Amino acid sequence: MGNITMKERSVEADVLCIGGGIAGLMAAIRAAEVGAKVVVAEKANTMFSGSGATGNDHFLCYIPEVHGPDIEPIVNEFQLGQQGGLRHRSFIQKWLLRSEEIVKMWDEWGIPMKYNGKYEFAGHAFPGNPMYNIHYAGKDQKKILTEQALKRGVTILNRMMCFDLITHEGGITGAIGINTWEDELVIFNTKRVILGTGSAIRLYPASTTPAWLFNTRLSPTCVGDGRAMAYRAGAELVNIEIPVFRCGPVYFARAGKATWAGVLRDPHGKPVGPFVTEPDNKYGDPVVDAYQDIFMDYKKSGRGPVYMDCKGLSDEDLEYMYYWLHNEGNVGLLDHLKEEGIDPREKPIEFRSYHRELFPRGGVYYDEEGATSLNGLYAAGDEFFGGISGAAVFGWIAGENAAKQAKGLGLPSIDHAKAQMEQAKAKLESIRNRDVGASWKEANIAVQQIMYDFSGEVRSETLLQAGLHALQRLRQKANEGLIAGNPHELCRCLEVFNLLEVGELIFVAARERKETRGKHIRADYPFTNPLMAKLLIVRKGKQGPILEWRPIKR
Amino acid sequence: MPPVINKALCTGCLECAEACQCDVYFGSIRGEEAKVTYPEECWHCNACVFVCPEGAITLRIPLPMMVLYHEKSG
Repeated sequence: MGNITMKERSVEADVLCIGGGIAGLMAAIRAAEVGAKVVVAEKANTMFSGSGATGNDHFLCYIPEVHGPDIEPIVNEFQLGQQGGLRHRSFIQKWLLRSEEIVKMWDEWGIPMKYNGKYEFAGHAFPGNPMYNIHYAGKDQKKILTEQALKRGVTILNRMMCFDLITHEGGITGAIGINTWEDELVIFNTKRVILGTGSAIRLYPASTTPAWLFNTRLSPTCVGDGRAMAYRAGAELVNIEIPVFRCGPVYFARAGKATWAGVLRDPHGKPVGPFVTEPDNKYGDPVVDAYQDIFMDYKKSGRGPVYMDCKGLSDEDLEYMYYWLHNEGNVGLLDHLKEEGIDPREKPIEFRSYHRELFPRGGVYYDEEGATSLNGLYAAGDEFFGGISGAAVFGWIAGENAAKQAKGLGLPSIDHAKAQMEQAKAKLESIRNRDVGASWKEANIAVQQIMYDFSGEVRSETLLQAGLHALQRLRQKANEGLIAGNPHELCRCLEVFNLLEVGELIFVAARERKETRGKHIRADYPFTNPLMAKLLIVRKGKQGPILEWRPIKR
Repeated sequence: MPPVINKALCTGCLECAEACQCDVYFGSIRGEEAKVTYPEECWHCNACVFVCPEGAITLRIPLPMMVLYHEKSG
């Protein structure tokens, strides 16, 4: 047995932002502008953290000077398309309505939102339909947002992982975290908390390379921390059971399809989709947005693999494509192509669906004010899918509302958190001091195989029951026997606990959704039931998770 | 394994360790050569490459992540 003791300290603020990604930083910036004392707790370093680390590509927006004064056609397109499916119309309207001011603000702050002096609408659209995503040069976005936050007096605590919220009388009064570089436990005593911890990656296997956990399309450090701690605190989660997956190059998963502009073709050179027959910088090949199973279907029918063929791109167009790939943080891939001497015009790159790498779009249920079901708790961004623009817009809104609500309130007492703190400390110290046990990685791999085998590409009542049982057994073993040799590994252990929490809720909600919807494929309920085009809420009850169906206001 | 540090150029400033979101450089000591403690946790975001003032870092793409291509364009 070791004899590690966690140091303790407390931090006080009006508003705590958990996660310093795009959502968290935008929330912090706005909350500080409104006059709040703001602290950001970031697991890594806000300069390069989250899925926006070294860049992103598309920013979803409604720009009246381009789209015209009527927002409704864009709302319709958004709702019909891949991203809007199960959200209230008022939420999408607000998102789009507020997007232009963010675009202009980012541009002023030095994130180039225009290309050659104008908005460059491209990608995630179908020929002939309205376009609502602009290319932007996001390479330095995190640095710039960090500077803007610091300029407004925001305190940023890097290497600080919050893993549990503190509740008191039905509301949120702070959070508990650890320093990932030192054995230190930190209690945050705050009036309002905003969650912005991103998606839940590493729940399912890295698709192209299951043995390589961090080869993921979105950030592998976004592991559902927000969803897990919100649930434990009593907040509602929504549609956690409906997963998605994406497509991209074999085997380099980072950023996925990104701004590749070639045509997807079979080995004989025939286009596999109906939308484009020549490389098109404006659309790329939208077949991957509409039909992600195409790669698997080609493989299974003996027609694969499928290639991203850039033959026909002019030098100028290739440079354009590389410019955007560079700006969305895909430099590692570009360097690799260069080293290997791969010119995608001569050597079409194999693409495939990342079908194992499922992740839930649903999550912490926040409304158009960024508010969750719990008093004092806000959320933004990929806590419930928002992508880049959703993170920016709802981060901003959540920050403003949290700061306004914090005004005039006194700091809560932390006395009620003492028991929770002591319990956390005992658990963390036992993980640090245990000599024999499983590493976080062992547990993470076990989570991934259970998630994929029992709630992956096919689900059914019996599979889900069996999987839930297996996951609960694993959870018990992890609770009793994980070991961590240092604070970094302790952080990874806490991530695995959060993955287990979210995974279990996926099983519970997936059993309740007795239909097939998107990639929630129920072999025993093979059709999409129009009566279930609803929100499925899950929240913690005394006897376990409570499920509730709610209509979508269209 | 990514990243690879050029020992001759590294000054131990640890800008890389500060930047890395996956904490690949955990345990590095200022003034000493940056230590790649958890190479398999690299996400290939290139942040460390970008911030290194000496240009001492390159990423070596692991074999399982090799990009595949069609030998002849259709």
